[in-house]
Amino acid sequence: MPARTKARAPSAEDADMEDAAPTSAQQVAEDGEPMEEDEDNEVGEEEEAEEPQRVRILPGSTSTAASFEFLKEGHTLGNALRFIIMKNPDVEFCAYAIPHPSEEKMNLRIQTYDTTTATAALEKGLQDLEDLCDVVSEEFWTQREKFMAEKS
Amino acid sequence: MEYDTMMMDGESIGPSVKISAADRTHVDFELSSVDLSFANSLRRVIQAEVPTIAIDLVEIEANTSVLADEFIAHRLGLIPLDSREIDQLNYTRDCDCDQSCGKCTVTLTLHAKCSSDEVMKVYARDLIVGIDRPNNHIGNPIITDPDGQGSLIAKLRKGQELKITCVAKKGIAKEHAKWSPTSAVGFEYDPHNKLHHLDLWYETDAATEWPKSKYADWEEPPAEGEPFDYDAVPNRFYFEVESAGNIEPDAIIQEGIKELQRKLAALIHGLGENDDMNAEYDGPRSPDVMDGGAPWQDQGGYTTPYAGAGNTSAWGGGGATAYGTTPYGNSGSTGW
Repeated sequence: MPARTKARAPSAEDADMEDAAPTSAQQVAEDGEPMEEDEDNEVGEEEEAEEPQRVRILPGSTSTAASFEFLKEGHTLGNALRFIIMKNPDVEFCAYAIPHPSEEKMNLRIQTYDTTTATAALEKGLQDLEDLCDVVSEEFWTQREKFMAEKS
Repeated sequence: MEYDTMMMDGESIGPSVKISAADRTHVDFELSSVDLSFANSLRRVIQAEVPTIAIDLVEIEANTSVLADEFIAHRLGLIPLDSREIDQLNYTRDCDCDQSCGKCTVTLTLHAKCSSDEVMKVYARDLIVGIDRPNNHIGNPIITDPDGQGSLIAKLRKGQELKITCVAKKGIAKEHAKWSPTSAVGFEYDPHNKLHHLDLWYETDAATEWPKSKYADWEEPPAEGEPFDYDAVPNRFYFEVESAGNIEPDAIIQEGIKELQRKLAALIHGLGENDDMNAEYDGPRSPDVMDGGAPWQDQGGYTTPYAGAGNTSAWGGGGATAYGTTPYGNSGSTGW
């Protein structure tokens, strides 16, 4: 049986809408950096601010239907991730797109059933793909050892 | 996580690999029971994202050869350098040093002057590798020819001189093809074209005019008059990986998978950091989640390019937008 995602209690809290632009219009903060999710969140500043946040939720998302924007990712991750997320029985729909080839952006749409949230499904997808990589990597190495042993 | 059941709906037993040929520069294998998307990700990652080391900065002190400086610099960049255990080398951009150091670069120097009447050939073996590097093989020019010369860099006539200092850095082929660990990757599936992913051009008969793939006898040819199976998906992928020499071909595959996992790990880490992303629902959102059908642009008291038509704009229709009719939006009646 394919594993299901653990449902997470959605923390439904609305904030004042300061600006609402359609998904196509990119939010740009004053310093020209793409808007970070945790912008208003002072605690969000991690000690090691090494890797800038590369995923954000696009406006208009709800807990069970969300669009994520990945920076510096492409078809390499997008297609494999899309596939693995679709394998999750809690997921109703998943698709990815690269809106424009000259922008290093990859958008991923996840719509889930009420049993889980889109974020949880994404997290599970990432984890599952990593596990799949482990399996293939291990299998390749054992087959390589076998091949080497047979040859000599 | 049992991928065997996860990946296939049938009796199959999870991803499997069959190596058919391997030597110092090649590995041919069949990867099966994975999805096309994963196999393609593997192909993409080993072609473009496995890090290697290559000459990136060239300082030319003397060049009296017939070749232009940049021409020689380009040739130097393309020389494969030993990239095994590349993990020990930092990316220059991530390194703590100011410009370059032994932890992120390897210096190679070249000094050649022709003093004879004959044409002198300068080879990769003439590059002298600096000692300040993480281990004693990284950055060595790859020399595989029987004479032990390596790649030809330039030819000099009498009195011509080359005096060059090169700085080799770690990089990936997405930035420049000189960092590619592979010279070619074969990727093939469905040799009988049962899935009709190809539309073969033919004069009279495609089967006789197109040469058979060498993998054609690995798979059952389609039976006579067999109906087209529109549910079929590709399942067996034939890889032919050819190394450029800087990493062994089997290590390329391992490094490629590792690189894919590194991507995923970074994203998981990033997601965990601002856990959970529900916080982001506080951010800007599209109008369907606003309560009522109030023209949302008016609230801010400013106009956006989208605000012109107010209620009648594509975005301002409240529950009347396309989103409102989906089972997810609930037209703003919920907290979302």
